[in-house]
Amino acid sequence: MTPPPAPESARRSTSIAMVLAWLIPGLGHYYLGKRKTAAAFAVIVTLTFLAGVSFQGRLYTVEQGQPLTILATFAVFGTGLLNIAARLFSENPGGVILAPTYEYGCAYLLTAGLMNLLLVLDAFDIARGRKP
Amino acid sequence: MTALPMLALVPADHFLIMTLYAFLVSAFFAILWREDRRERWKLFGILMAALVGGGLAVAWLMYPFPR
Repeated sequence: MTPPPAPESARRSTSIAMVLAWLIPGLGHYYLGKRKTAAAFAVIVTLTFLAGVSFQGRLYTVEQGQPLTILATFAVFGTGLLNIAARLFSENPGGVILAPTYEYGCAYLLTAGLMNLLLVLDAFDIARGRKP
Repeated sequence: MTALPMLALVPADHFLIMTLYAFLVSAFFAILWREDRRERWKLFGILMAALVGGGLAVAWLMYPFPR
């Protein structure tokens, strides 16, 4: 009697899934065979990030004497290629501090990064078989 | 930073921005933490109500202290 075939996620590389999940929101889940979930995550995280950019939030960088900017930079870099593209193509990555939506924009950008970092951890769990 | 033309149509309305944020966060965690469709909708509703209701409650509590 042959054993049942392993689930698709069990035959995939954990490290590749995590790198893909970081690069593009949802791509790690797509790689692991969770296509619908991947599409939903891609839409949610990308929309959150684009809203943050549109609300003129700040793409944080580390500043001397401001230790909290280390955490904020780590969070924003969680969005992978979205963050890099926004830094390359935006006129003012530091945001517009006088804009009425500046604080909202910062919150959206930080949230998008943290969401994607959670997706990286989720992809790890799925690839290791800890989550269905 | 130049606002994206499509999203720039969203007005700078505090309640709308807060509700959009609550919607996105609720949808994200509902999909992440639940597998069953019914359970996802249930968690989405709870999170959405908590975030919007909590935001309104904090705003109401802060009303006597504008500065």
